[in-house]
Amino acid sequence: MAGDQTPQPNGGSGDVPSGAGQGWTALGYLITGMVFWGFIGWLVDQWLDSGGIATGIGVVLGMAGGIILVVRRLGTPT
Amino acid sequence: MFGQANVLAAGQAAFPPSVEDFYLPSILPWGAHDSYWFTKITAMVWIAVGVLIIFFLASYRKPQLVPTKKQWFAESIYGFVRNNIAVDMIGHAGVRFAPYFTTLFCFILLTNFFAILPGFQISPNSHIAFPAILAVISYVLFIYAGIKHHGAGKFIKNSLIPPAPWYILPLLIPIEFFSTFLVRPFSLAVRLFANMFAGHMLLLVFTLGGFAMLSANTWLAPVSVLSWVMTIALTFLEFLVIVLQAYVFTVLTASYVQGALADEH
Repeated sequence: MAGDQTPQPNGGSGDVPSGAGQGWTALGYLITGMVFWGFIGWLVDQWLDSGGIATGIGVVLGMAGGIILVVRRLGTPT
Repeated sequence: MFGQANVLAAGQAAFPPSVEDFYLPSILPWGAHDSYWFTKITAMVWIAVGVLIIFFLASYRKPQLVPTKKQWFAESIYGFVRNNIAVDMIGHAGVRFAPYFTTLFCFILLTNFFAILPGFQISPNSHIAFPAILAVISYVLFIYAGIKHHGAGKFIKNSLIPPAPWYILPLLIPIEFFSTFLVRPFSLAVRLFANMFAGHMLLLVFTLGGFAMLSANTWLAPVSVLSWVMTIALTFLEFLVIVLQAYVFTVLTASYVQGALADEH
């Protein structure tokens, strides 16, 4: 069974960062999406005095954006 | 240099430890309290730089085919960073960056390790200035590598415009910009700083807490002992954090370089 090793992924010039880097990237996208668009929504709230509605919309939109980014950037390469 | 230990022995340490405890008295001029040009922290950074330079120079002075123990150790560190971080994350192009990653890894590991080394007992990385500068170096490196590899226009296009339909791009581009160019250096610096800061604070709380309880009431002595036992246990936890944070910092830098070099997909 000496030659019976599973082929090691040798990195290559793959598009997708491996392991820890990928995790942090995904986490970064999710948090940044929420924080950034939430902040924009909060600014809109301050401007229109709409009592938090825009912040909520912003957070949800940002979350969606973050998820899209994770799927597009880190999802299975086609 | 051992000011803190003397304060402990004299039993006059203020109990809840504060940020003040991270600003150690000046060495040059000796004992000045408002001069931060050359403190224990500065000395430790220079010692770390010196130790690393001397260690690697000495290990590679007469390289042998069958390595000596020192050479084997140095080669293991370099080999680990090159194979398990640089090549693993970036691929063959990563070998170019391996020397920087090794330097980064060793420097962070050693300066972090000062946090639990008797006599040193504080990490320079518990001051945000040092992680911040390291993060800036990594930040400049990955942007430079990306621009050199792709050209400025294509690099910015690659990193800002994700593969997605045009109508959601306005939603995504700000997130990309924010997470790639603003959050990355910030989180890199803060992660290392916060870990080392919290670790030192934790050890201070348990050590000084033991003394505080002992001087408050002698009957609390068993609890003091428990507190010091906890300090020892936490020191081992600190060791784990030290190694992990050095590794994470290097891996993330490698991951950013990889992202900058990656072709569009």
